[in-house]
Amino acid sequence: MKLRIVLAASCALFALPFAWAQDRALSVTIYADDLALVQDRRPVDLTGGRQRLEFAGVSAQIRPETVSLAATGITIVEQNFDFDLLTPAKLMEKAVGSVVTIVRVNPATGVETRETAQVLATNGGVVLKIGDRIEVLRDDGLPVRVIFDKVPENLRSKPTLSVTVNGDRRGPRPATLSYLTSGLGWRADYVALYDDASSKIDVQGWVTLTNSSGTTYDNAATTLVAGAPFRVGQYQGPQYGRQQQRPQLVQAGTETGGRERLGDFYLYPLAERTTIADLQTKQVSFLDVHGVPAEHGYEFRNYWMGTQEEPQSAKTVYRFSTGSAKGLGDQLPAGVLRFYMRDKKGDPQFIGESAIDHTPMGSTLSLSTGDAFDIKVKPVVEKRERVTTRRWKTTMRYTLSNASPKAVTVVLQQDGLWGDTKIDTESLKSTRPNADMAQWTVNVPANGSAEVTVTFDSSY
Amino acid sequence: MREAHPMRLIITGLAAVAAPLAAPMAAHAQDVLAAAPADISVTVYRNPNRPEGGFDLDNLEGFALITETRRVVLPVGEHRLRFEGVADGIEPASAMVTGLPNGVIEKNRDAALISPSALIEAAQAQGGRVLLTRSNPGSGATVRTEGTIRSGAGDGVVFETPDGVEALRCSGLSETFGFQSSTSGLSALPTLSVLTRTTEPVEAVVQLSYLSRGFDWAADYVANLRADPGKMDLGAWITLANGNGTGFSNARVQIVAGRLNRESGEVEPIDIGRPILALCWPQGSTSDSPPPITIQRAFPLGFDPSRLEYAKAMPAPAPQQALTDFAQRVVVTGSLIAEQEELGDLKLYRMPGRTTVASRQSKQVRMLDRSAVTIAKIYEADLYANEPSEFQPVPVLLRTQNDTKNNLGLPLPSGRVALFELAGASASAQRLLSGETDLRDIAVNEETEFRFEGGAAVQFRQIDESREIEEFPGPPPPFLPGNNGRNTPRLDEISRIELTNAHPHAIQVEVRLSLDDDQRLVKADRPAAQKNGRPIFRVTVRANGSVQIRYQTASR
Repeated sequence: MKLRIVLAASCALFALPFAWAQDRALSVTIYADDLALVQDRRPVDLTGGRQRLEFAGVSAQIRPETVSLAATGITIVEQNFDFDLLTPAKLMEKAVGSVVTIVRVNPATGVETRETAQVLATNGGVVLKIGDRIEVLRDDGLPVRVIFDKVPENLRSKPTLSVTVNGDRRGPRPATLSYLTSGLGWRADYVALYDDASSKIDVQGWVTLTNSSGTTYDNAATTLVAGAPFRVGQYQGPQYGRQQQRPQLVQAGTETGGRERLGDFYLYPLAERTTIADLQTKQVSFLDVHGVPAEHGYEFRNYWMGTQEEPQSAKTVYRFSTGSAKGLGDQLPAGVLRFYMRDKKGDPQFIGESAIDHTPMGSTLSLSTGDAFDIKVKPVVEKRERVTTRRWKTTMRYTLSNASPKAVTVVLQQDGLWGDTKIDTESLKSTRPNADMAQWTVNVPANGSAEVTVTFDSSY
Repeated sequence: MREAHPMRLIITGLAAVAAPLAAPMAAHAQDVLAAAPADISVTVYRNPNRPEGGFDLDNLEGFALITETRRVVLPVGEHRLRFEGVADGIEPASAMVTGLPNGVIEKNRDAALISPSALIEAAQAQGGRVLLTRSNPGSGATVRTEGTIRSGAGDGVVFETPDGVEALRCSGLSETFGFQSSTSGLSALPTLSVLTRTTEPVEAVVQLSYLSRGFDWAADYVANLRADPGKMDLGAWITLANGNGTGFSNARVQIVAGRLNRESGEVEPIDIGRPILALCWPQGSTSDSPPPITIQRAFPLGFDPSRLEYAKAMPAPAPQQALTDFAQRVVVTGSLIAEQEELGDLKLYRMPGRTTVASRQSKQVRMLDRSAVTIAKIYEADLYANEPSEFQPVPVLLRTQNDTKNNLGLPLPSGRVALFELAGASASAQRLLSGETDLRDIAVNEETEFRFEGGAAVQFRQIDESREIEEFPGPPPPFLPGNNGRNTPRLDEISRIELTNAHPHAIQVEVRLSLDDDQRLVKADRPAAQKNGRPIFRVTVRANGSVQIRYQTASR
């Protein structure tokens, strides 16, 4: 009889959250740095006076210290986050000192014998007191069922948040629970289809949400924030392990986008409520632009005045604008841009990808997709002489080769011009983008090669 | 049509029962299953960070672009269009769906596949109702009791029946759960779904394309030195492998050569599930030896250490069984040659006809065959000036220019080269492996060198014969800006290189010197040329003969 009552009570307790779920309104704001703000509006039923409210279905990765509950006419007494999880071992451990029912099953006849037993200890094995005897559970290896009356109150199948409140009066009312959680993240993924004949790209942008927070957010109003407005003063490293050191943002844009803002950051609210299931990757479109002019070029950088015994491939580079005139016309949240190109049969094929940072509208981007198979450069130190102790003359020869049937232009860069380095003589006029670097724009004929020779005069 | 694994079929059957009952994520969206792919194209890319040479079948780190054409029939309304059976290594962020009249509202990939643990979790999320089945050990009678899962966390299962609360499989009795067939939302196969809305019934052919991990390819060259000197036959295979659990039948297959950028972001792995762990309370008995004291490592809240293993095991799970299969299933499809075309700044090779890229299979297709390639065999000693060394073998180069004049003139993607030579007298001559080397990406018209370890027949050593330091004239120079006060005196060194040839024929040897920045070659008893900014001596060593080169360097 007692058993039944306990069961009924616990069923009622568990039924409660489902009743709540009816009028629940969730809103989720996801920042770029594994951080999300969840605002969970649901009706609570107040009894008046002191009472414990339990919130099921909150993120399993909730930061309990950030929880706040807002409702009219309540004062918060305390907040608890219980994370003692219900397992067989915990169940037995919490039963120490109390009484359980054991059922022995006769292996020959199948006859069941019921007894009550007190759990004495669970150290290594379970020790029971049955009447006057003390016994080790299943010491003989025969089957014995152990039945517990109930699940101890603070053991849960999932971490559970509870708030003890003082309510002013009885009755249901809406309450908003808000908290920060990790396990939710987003980034942008771009698909760029480059058309070689017209030198244009079509770009689609998708925001990609990932949820590993252990919880499903049903029918949530979702907003994404481009940028992590936290950790002021902390260096934000490149987000996707960028390999190349070449600058991608050639010119930072100065145009203002039409999107909603939060301080210095752009907001990307999703047009419709969506369900973010646990362990789900979800993508929603935010950008679709066609026929944006893009420049296809080649770049080669020699990092120091040294010889490469074998010709090195130049980098394939695509350059385009994010401005409103002849550009993508939008600011771009950080993510990965994947380039595609059609093969001879017209099927799009992947030709490489590049990570981009948050990019303002009106910027010029120069993204590298990989190495050019047919365009190579071989830098060679022809001569290096000491003029005085701290002054050297270095003669470099760069041989550029092009195995493709089209003439190409390669931007050749000599980096590592430390100290006071001047150019004595050169076979092609150079520019100096900065003190460390000299740059030549070299035309290489189809199926041919070109040479640049330079003498540097460096003082250290 | 997908490859029909016997096990797959069973699971598919199960899913077919479960799918119509599945509770959709958004209550108003209807699940619609896209037809099996009518056309598949697989383009395999090599791991851009892998050096030349082969790949590890157990850990394929390249990737592939998979494009599938599927037919869909959509009634009016909002639909969750499901593409079942995508590769398990799918990078969901790269997926593209084209051909839907009203476009795509959102794309989803659910990571949880149907598995024992996923069933427990799903059942729990849906209220936890299960049917407990228990067999009586004596009578054999089966008793079924309705119950509720109270906890299915990784550390054991606790359930409740009208009897009370119990733990699964702690009693020593045989116990198991039966799940309601509507316990789902889980897919049997890796699945991508898109949300779309239609205002009128649609019958469309849609294209799904995505990048998937767990593929790779390599170029394997075989160079045969011919009996006529200066000629070589060069052939190459494309070896491609699919480490995914998904196979692609009757597919158009391409590979792409060249190095392209990859931003190695993490892919959310598919949760391949885990067994139900029937962990219990301590079960020591009086006859056990005392357990060692272990200290449990604390993990941060919400972190499930057991997940770690699954995450690591993906994206290419390679169970032992599959491994042995794998090794046996290297399929050689014959010697039709793959067609090469340009793809931007990369090279694309199209496999002839259609072929099947089965799951956990590696496959070879001919890439090129060139006979009578003109080559020069050269011994190359590359050494630091004046650095003494004992006798050691001189490495061998097979050098040619990659052009049509030499019977080449086609792109050579990086790969491994095996060199075969004739051994023995011509009557009983045998073709044997004589060396292995790596080849980088070689463009048309580029100088091509295959570099091999040398044998004992050709050796070199270097002897530093004498050193002379010039004396400073007068007192040391004053300390002035631009003069660091330690003017180095001039150092003169004379060294000797000896080359020996035990072959019964003359050989060509190139000796290359590395000099320090302020070091010069002053004089030598043989003519020195320049190559890549470094002095080079080109000498012929006659049959069973030897050669000496004496040179002098100066540095300041």
